[in-house]
Amino acid sequence: MVEIEVRPRDRVITRGRMPSPDIPARMRGVVEPTQLARFEAVILPHLDAAYTLARYLLRHDEDAQDATHDAVLRALRHFGGFRGEDARAWLLTVVRNTCHSWQRRSRAHEQEVAFDEEVHSETGAEEHPEAALLRTADREAVSRALDALPAEFREVIVLREVQGLSYREIARMTEVPIGTVMSRLSRARRYLERTVGRR
Amino acid sequence: MTCGEFEARLGAFIDGELGPAEEREMRAHLESCPSCNAAHERQLALRSALRKHLVPLAAPETLRAGIGRAVRVAGRAPGSRIRTTPVQRWAAIAALLVAAMGGTWKVATNQANGQRLSDEILTSHVRSLMGDHFSDVVSTDQHTVKPWFNGKLDYSPPVYDFAGRGFPLMGGRLDYLAGRSVAVLGYARRKHLINVYLWPTGHGPDAGPGSASRQGYHLLHWNQPDYTYWVVSDLGIVELKEFAGLLRGADSAAAIP
Repeated sequence: MVEIEVRPRDRVITRGRMPSPDIPARMRGVVEPTQLARFEAVILPHLDAAYTLARYLLRHDEDAQDATHDAVLRALRHFGGFRGEDARAWLLTVVRNTCHSWQRRSRAHEQEVAFDEEVHSETGAEEHPEAALLRTADREAVSRALDALPAEFREVIVLREVQGLSYREIARMTEVPIGTVMSRLSRARRYLERTVGRR
Repeated sequence: MTCGEFEARLGAFIDGELGPAEEREMRAHLESCPSCNAAHERQLALRSALRKHLVPLAAPETLRAGIGRAVRVAGRAPGSRIRTTPVQRWAAIAALLVAAMGGTWKVATNQANGQRLSDEILTSHVRSLMGDHFSDVVSTDQHTVKPWFNGKLDYSPPVYDFAGRGFPLMGGRLDYLAGRSVAVLGYARRKHLINVYLWPTGHGPDAGPGSASRQGYHLLHWNQPDYTYWVVSDLGIVELKEFAGLLRGADSAAAIP
């Protein structure tokens, strides 16, 4: 995994304060042909990764396609802020922020309470499933367990296990300290372990 | 290292995120503690199941094509709303058309007028989604949008809000199509935007909407007694037809202000 040096300038992008596509003023202005060519060469090759992230975060194919479309256009508008760092991580940040604002508008928060209760009520040490059972879990069981996670926990799992990002990259992308990434990952995994292992 | 400390670092250990010193301590603890060893095995097993089933996906072709087109249009579209003469606009539209086609659907010079018009409309729609062209008058109130057209057009287009049916009015703007200024009404359906183009026609009413689909966009076209309508959106065709039905119904009734 390529480590990215955090520079103050990069924060403009990673802060996630991008204007929504509906905000007009900044969206004017022609994209220069040279910039467009660069965008097509550097950013568009990561379209599969972008769609994958949106699909796993939003869990709905049409929404994921719409969000990806939105995010790429948003990325194009803010391409001036791209300083040649890891293009994939940069695009994924935009996708993540786009999905995030979608989720905020829907009912992503409702699950959290249920999740907390479940984690706390099932901390019995004896209930651990066999490793072999986990290893052979089927797709259905894995995706059901993942779907049951609240957004911010599902997000770290997807960024880590599907996109293979480092803790540092995940921390920058989700705007939380590395310690939080670590604890979210480990809570999410403990939960997945119990859920996937339950047959 | 205690079992508690081991557990707290287990995830980072598996992810290779610990420093060499901590990693050594973790390995030492692993060998001496069967229960932590089992926990480690479970986490490895879980990770292997996750990686096996949570596979990277390929972006659907329609999405890829839609994004490619939108990006190319963005690269060529004049972003700010500059007052242009009709000739300049035609030149811009022609340039955009060439850009938007990108060799996928070529415009033959001998194309039928209808085809050329639908091209124009599709291009206008795509442009309206880039930048802030979607509305010149931003309002969800039909009584604000309708008067806005006064003095800007030689007709006063009927304007209805269908917020109650899930298609809220977003605003209106002018565009230049088919050699004349036309009214464009913007509507929304969830995240999808719909453009409605309408201008007076002498055709008289027809049987119902004709439809065409191009690279993820749907176009519907029909004639009412007084107006010709074009509706374009990336919304699904079923919902778009439902919307067209609302428009046709409202205009036919004409009793609604």
